[in-house]
Amino acid sequence: MDIIEFQEQLLVEANASGFKEAEVYYERSESFRCTIFEGEIDSYETSEEGGLGLRGMYDGKMGYAYTEKIEKESIPFLIDSAKANAAVLDEDDGTTIFEESQTYADQSFYSDTLANVEIPEKIDLITAIEKKVREYDPRIVTLDYCMLQNFTAERIMANSKKLSLNEKINGLIIYISVVVKDGEEMKTGSCIKMTRDFASLDADEIAKEAAEEALSNLGEQSIPAGKYPVIMRYDASASLLAAFTPIFSAENTQKDQSKLKGKVGEEIAAAAFTLLDDPFHPEAVVGSNFDGEGVATKKQEVISKGTLKTLLHNRKTAQKEGVETTGHAHKASYKSTLTVAPQNMYIAPGEKSDADLIASIKDGVLITDLSGLHSGASTISGDFSLAATGFHIKDGQIASSVKQMTIAGNFFDYMKDIEEVGSELHFLPGGYGSPSLRVKELSVTVD
Amino acid sequence: MIKQSIIENVLEAALSTGGDFSEVFIEDKYVNTMELQSGKIEKSISGRDFGIGIRIFSGLQSIYTYTTDFSEEGLLLAAKRAALAIKGGGHGTIHTLQKEVCTPIHQIAQLPRTVEHARKAAVMKTANDIARKYDERIRQVALRYIDEEQHVLIANSEGKFVEDTRVYSRLAIQATASDGHEMQTGFYGPGAHAGFEFIENLDLDHYAGEAARIAVTMLGADECPSGKFPVIIDNEFGGVIFHEACGHGLEATAVAKNNSVFANRIGEKVAPDIVTYIDDGTLPNEWGSLTVDDEGEKTRKNVLIENGILKGYLVDKFNARRMNTEATGSSRRESYRFNPTSRMTNTFITPGESKPEDIIASTEHGIYAKYMGGGQVNPATGDYNFAVAEAYLVKDGKIDRPVRGATLIGNGAKTLQLVDRVGNNLAHGAGMCGSLSGSLPVNVGQPMIRVSEITVGGTKGE
Repeated sequence: MDIIEFQEQLLVEANASGFKEAEVYYERSESFRCTIFEGEIDSYETSEEGGLGLRGMYDGKMGYAYTEKIEKESIPFLIDSAKANAAVLDEDDGTTIFEESQTYADQSFYSDTLANVEIPEKIDLITAIEKKVREYDPRIVTLDYCMLQNFTAERIMANSKKLSLNEKINGLIIYISVVVKDGEEMKTGSCIKMTRDFASLDADEIAKEAAEEALSNLGEQSIPAGKYPVIMRYDASASLLAAFTPIFSAENTQKDQSKLKGKVGEEIAAAAFTLLDDPFHPEAVVGSNFDGEGVATKKQEVISKGTLKTLLHNRKTAQKEGVETTGHAHKASYKSTLTVAPQNMYIAPGEKSDADLIASIKDGVLITDLSGLHSGASTISGDFSLAATGFHIKDGQIASSVKQMTIAGNFFDYMKDIEEVGSELHFLPGGYGSPSLRVKELSVTVD
Repeated sequence: MIKQSIIENVLEAALSTGGDFSEVFIEDKYVNTMELQSGKIEKSISGRDFGIGIRIFSGLQSIYTYTTDFSEEGLLLAAKRAALAIKGGGHGTIHTLQKEVCTPIHQIAQLPRTVEHARKAAVMKTANDIARKYDERIRQVALRYIDEEQHVLIANSEGKFVEDTRVYSRLAIQATASDGHEMQTGFYGPGAHAGFEFIENLDLDHYAGEAARIAVTMLGADECPSGKFPVIIDNEFGGVIFHEACGHGLEATAVAKNNSVFANRIGEKVAPDIVTYIDDGTLPNEWGSLTVDDEGEKTRKNVLIENGILKGYLVDKFNARRMNTEATGSSRRESYRFNPTSRMTNTFITPGESKPEDIIASTEHGIYAKYMGGGQVNPATGDYNFAVAEAYLVKDGKIDRPVRGATLIGNGAKTLQLVDRVGNNLAHGAGMCGSLSGSLPVNVGQPMIRVSEITVGGTKGE
C-alpha cells in the first residue's frame, strides 16, 4: 500500500484513539553486496526493505511501536502497542512532538551517478581488486574478506503538527582483508573505503593499500612493556573517539553515566584538541539535514582548544537543562526509541604531516589498529585497555612491527595528553574522523 | 505465514536460471524492550519484524536476497532478481514439499506477549531496589528487559518444509558505583530460550546483587599489572575466552577457506587431554538453544575437541559443499536480513577433576578472572583479546586484592595448549555473539580453568 497514504491514515486513527500528538517515521532501503573469492563471486546479496515506527503522546506519555508488515491490519497493532508502552512509563517524557525548525540545510547525500552504476561494473571492480591483491606479493596467502556493498536509504518523517521531512542517502563501501605469511608468521591487514564517487575508486590503489597494510605487519619484534609516547594513527584515533562519544551525551551526564557532568565551560582536553560535529562535511559520506526529532542539524564545536563548549542534546535533555537542543536526537531506525548521538564528529586537523609526527618521537609506538573496543573501553570510568596493532618508532623512524600489544589508559587523561594533532584528516565509514595524534604516553604490554 | 503454493512458486522461480538449490526463510517476530534508569521505566517499545530471505546455490556460489514485500509478485520479483546472478543456464528441480512435524524441545510456559507490561516492570523495579540497597555508592542502575517471539518457516527445493517458534527472555543489569571521583560498573545479563517464567523465577538477589558488588569492588581496585601470568578463569561466562580463542576458529566460515589455524587438522592433538569442547544446541531452554537451526536442520550435540583431539567443526549447508562434508545443525542468522552460516549455540568445556579451591591454592602468583567482559578474535591468525570485568591478584595460593583494567591477549591455538587445570564446576552464561550472519544469542560455558600463561595488559606496568 502507498506509504504516504498509510502514514496519514495511521496519524488520523492514532488521534481518534486518544493520542494527543503523534509522529510516523518510515524508512526504506535497498542494497547490493557481493564478496569475491579466488576470482569467483562467492556471495551475492540484494535486498529491499521497509519499516515504520509510531511515536505518540498518550495520557501525557510517549509510546512507541513499529512494524515491518505495512498493511492496514497493522494499524491496530501499532496503536494498541504504543498505548501499552506509554502506560507503563513512570514519568512523562517531558517532550512533545516537534513542529519544525525555521530553516533546514539542503545538503545532498545522494548521487544519481552512483545510483546508475550497474551491478556488473561493481563486480568487475571488486574482482579486479581481488586479482591485483593476489598478484601483489608472493607472501600474500589469501583474502579473508573481499566485499563491495552499495546502499540506498530513504526516510520520511511526518507528524500530527504537519511536519513533513524526507531525505535520501546512498553510498558504496569496499572492505578488503588480506592474510600474509612469512615463514611461520601470519598477519592480516585491511582496507576500507566508503564513497559516493564510484569513478574515484582505483583498483590498483586500493589493492596496493590493502596489501601494503598487511605486509607491513610482518617482521614483528617484541619490545619491553612500559609507558611509551604514542602516535595514534588517524583511523585508530577515530575509532577510539567513536567508542567514547557517549561521554558527550547530555542524556548520559544527566543520569550520572558520564564524568563530563557539569563540565561545560571547563578545560577538559589539551589546547591542541578541538572537536567538531559537522553533518555536512564533504569527506564524510554519512550525514543528515535533520535529526531524529526533525530538528535542523548544524556544524558546531564541542571542544574548542581544550574547552568543553557544549554537550550533545535532544529536545528532552535540553529542556531539563534550560538550553537549546543541539540537534542530536538520534533514531537509529524506526525500531528505536530516541537517544542522543553525534552526527559526524571529528578532531580538527593541525599542522604536521604524519611523517613529521613520527620523526618527532625518539622511542615510541605507532598504533594503526585497535581491537576489542566494544569490551575493553568503559565510557563510564574512561578506562580503556585494548588490543593494538602497530610499530616501534626508534629515533624518528619506524623500526619494525610489534607483536600483538595492549595499550591502556584513561580517555579523560588521554584528551589532556594530546601533544600534537596531524594535518591529514580521514573519516571512518560510520562518520567519525581524525588526523593522527601524538599522545604523551600510554601503557604498552606486548604478547 | 505465506501460502504453500506461493512458496513453491518462489522456490521454482529462484532456480529458473540454473541454480541447484533454493530456500525460502520467512520470519515473523514480535519484540518487546523496556528500559529502567534512575528507578523509573523510561523507555518501552514493541514491534513486529516481518520479512523473507531467499537463498540460491549454484555450485560454490551463494546468492541471497531479502525483502519485506510479502506480496506474491514482490516475492517472485525478488527471486528472479537473485536468480539473474547465476549464468548457469538450464533449470534446477524442485522436490515436493514435505511438511516436517517438529517437536519443540524447549517448553515455554508463559508467552511474554501475553504478559502485561506491568509485571515485567515489577521485576525490573525489584532488581533495581536490590542493586541500590547493596551499597550507598551505587549511583545508577540501568536495566534492560527484552523478550522475543520468533516464528520461522523454512522451505527448500529438496522438499524441506519446517516451522518453528523461538521465544527468548533476557534481563540485563548494569550497576554504576561512584565515590565522587571514580566511576565503575558491574554487569550481569541472564537470558534463556524461555518465556516470562524465566524472568519471574530469576534469583534477583544474586544477579542484581552481583552487578552491584562488581561495581563497588572495582571502585576500590588497584591498577592491573602487566606481564605474563598464570590466569585462573572462573566458570560460567568465563567460557567466553574459548568461544573467541577457539570456537570461532572451528566454524566452517573460517575453516572452509583455510582461514583458520584449525583447518585440516581433524584427528590432531590441539589441546591437553583434560580439554573436551562441545557445542550443544539441544540443552533445554538454554539461551543459545534451538529446536531446528535456520536451515531447518535439527540441532545436535557436536563434539569439537575430545580429550585434546580435534574431532569436528560447525558446518552449514553451503560450506559443507566446499568442505565435502555434512551440515551439523549449526546454521544460524540474526534475522531474514542475513545469509545464514555456521555459528555456535551453547559451547562449553566439559567438567574436569579439579576443585576450584585447589586450583587457586596451587597458584603462586597470578591473576584470577572472576567475571569476564567481552572479547574479539581475528580468526585468520587466532589472535584474541578480552576485557576482564572483575579481576584479582593471586598471591601464594590465595586471592589477594582486586585489580581493574585487565585485558588478556594471546593466540587461541597456543592458549588452548596451555590449559593446565579444568575444574569440576561447569556453568553456562548468556551472551550475544556478532559475526557474519549477525548478532545471535549464544551460551558460553566452562568450569573454572587455569591457563599456565597469558599476557595481561594493564595500566600499572610490570
